[in-house]
Formats: sequence, C-alpha cells, structure tokens
Amino acid sequence: MGKIVAIHSYKGGTGKTLLSVNLSTLYANRGKNVALLDLDFRAPSLQAILKVQNSEYWINDYLNGVCDIKKALVDLSQTHSKRGRLLVGLANPSTEAIREMTAKDRKWEMKALGRLLSLKTSLLGEMGLDYVILDTSPGLQYSSINAIVSADVVLVVSGMDISDMKGTQRMIDELYELFEKKTGLVMNKVFAEVLQSKNQRADLANKLLNSSKLPMIEMIPCFCDILKAGGVSVFVNENPEHPFVKTLDRMATTIEKL
Amino acid sequence: MSLPRKVDPISTTLLQKIKESLESLNEKMEVMIEIQKHEQRAVPDGIPDVLDVMTLLSLPDHLRKTAVTLCKLDHATADEVSDQTKRARAVESGYLNQLVLMGYVKKERRGRKAYFYVEREENPSEMKESWEK
Repeated sequence: MGKIVAIHSYKGGTGKTLLSVNLSTLYANRGKNVALLDLDFRAPSLQAILKVQNSEYWINDYLNGVCDIKKALVDLSQTHSKRGRLLVGLANPSTEAIREMTAKDRKWEMKALGRLLSLKTSLLGEMGLDYVILDTSPGLQYSSINAIVSADVVLVVSGMDISDMKGTQRMIDELYELFEKKTGLVMNKVFAEVLQSKNQRADLANKLLNSSKLPMIEMIPCFCDILKAGGVSVFVNENPEHPFVKTLDRMATTIEKL
Repeated sequence: MSLPRKVDPISTTLLQKIKESLESLNEKMEVMIEIQKHEQRAVPDGIPDVLDVMTLLSLPDHLRKTAVTLCKLDHATADEVSDQTKRARAVESGYLNQLVLMGYVKKERRGRKAYFYVEREENPSEMKESWEK
C-alpha cells in the first residue's frame, strides 16, 4: 500500500507548499500515482500555483460531507505529469469559505478527522494511489493536527530562524512524538555558506534536532532562482536540471524508504 | 532442623483470589480517577466531549494510543485494537472501557462480542446515499 505524507511546519513561509507541489510532481514524473491535497484552509494556494480553473467540488466539500473524495479531485496528469497520475484536491480560496472553515466547532473537526483517516482506504486502497501528499497549515491548528494523525509520514520543514527552530523542537516533543509518527526533518532555505563542510552541516542539524533522534531528511540550500520564479510554475518541470530538483529527487528517494 | 514448609493448596487459591480482587479494585480506582479528572475539565454549558485531536493530545499516553488506534479502525473489538497496539487484550479492554466511561467512545454488543467506536455521523447511511447521487 502507498503512503500518506503530511508536510508541516511551525511557522508559515518555510516552503511547505513549494515542496508539496514539487515533490508530488516529481513522484508523478517517476511514474507514481499521486494525490496532492491542500489542507491549508486559511491560506489556500494550490489553485493559483497550478493554474487550475474553479473546481466543482473542493476539499472543504469533502470534509463537510457534501461529496465523495473522487469528486473533489482534479486530474492534472495531462498538463503536469510526464508519466504517472497527478490528482489535486483544492482548498476553496474564497473569503467566505476561509471564514467558514475557521469557525468550525470541535464536533466538526472530529468528523473531519474521520474523513481524513478514511483516505487511506479510498485513495490508497480503492484508487491504488502510491502517494497522498497533504499540504498543511503551519502551527498547531486543527486541520494540520488532523493531517498529522492521518498521515503515515510527517515531514517537518524549518527555516534557519531561531524562533522557527525552537518551535519545531517543541512540536517534535509535544506533537509528533505523542502520536508516534514517522517523522523526518527538512531544513529549507539554508545559506549555502553553512552547508559547505560536513562539520558545518552536522552542527546545523544538531542545532535543530537538539536531543531528538529524528532523521534529518534533507538540508535544502536557498536558491534565488526559486524566489525569482515567484511560484508561477512547477519548478521540477520547468528546470529539471536545477540543483534544487536534484536535492528534491534525493529527498523523494529517502521518503520512499521511510 | 526445620522441616520444608508445606504449601496449603487452599491458601494458594485464596491468595490468588485476593490478588485478582486487588487488581480489579486497582483498575476500578484508575477509572474513577480518570473520570474525576474528566469531570473537573467538563465544560459547564453541557457541550458533550468529543474525541477531536485536541482531546487526543490531552489524554494520557496509554489512552491516546488506544483512542488513535480506534479512530483508525472505526469500529473495533478489544482484540482488534490489541492486534494493532501489540498490548494485551485485557489491557486494551480496560482502556477502551475507560474511554467509554469518559464519554469519548461508544460501546455496543453484537452477539458475544463488544464493539467500540467513535460516534461521528448522525446518520452515516444517509450521508453515503448523498455521496452516491
């Protein structure tokens, strides 16, 4: 059976969405069948990045019990994947939908957890997908913790900011370990100067991992080209030979083995 | 010279019974402590407690493991939960019953088996029909 991977972080702006989109596309290009779901209901962004027309149903509708998960998925295989299937579930970006999602009560969140847990049966079991990638909201919010509980693997993305690293350490101790999740860390937007020697990389990894035994999946350097692209394209398709794509490729292989 | 002590079979049985009673008493006291803690946390406006992720986070480790496993399995017997958690069936049965007493989990009997579940939908069959339309 395939894997559900949740991509999470303590703070916003760490690059979760960029990694989610590119990792999903990379797996699809390898011939895997993938579903990428936007669970960042406070700041939906996949529709803009992937340039998808308005979807008939959103992930919001699936969690509200309005539709089946299949109806909430848009097939982007023709336009975005070289080999495998690439399905995307979008979060509704309208202000009204964002407001509605932030006002949900605990009972609704409990039902939403049930629906996210059932994705294992519907997407991995019945549809036979290889990967379901969940792009989550940052921090300790219902939607992101629901995603973490539903996932098989959690990737935690942190920047070099000290508040981000401290927050990530707290989440390791007080969230991921409590749910006994397979968790891996990714440091993103790292200055190239601190990645030059093995010792420098080890020092930086220790700083983030503290005393935790979690694996450091990858340290991704900060690339100006990605900032210049401004999120208007899927980087792995536009620049397949770029060092960022090579790093992501290595990361995808590591996740496969987790 | 001291003679080897003869063990009276009646006293061995009695000791075993006392041990079992004490274990049972201990288990009941643990349940009462959990209920007491739960009541102290109860919302005064009478909103029923639900097994959402924040509740899962607030549960003690041993109960969280059982509760998360039950959430994943949907409906399950203590045996099925114990298969996943790799803990003894009797232990899982005790934890599941604690979760029932705390109001997070429902229990129903089907024949000789007791099934535990988290009540999420008002009417699951109605919802399934609306999906299929």
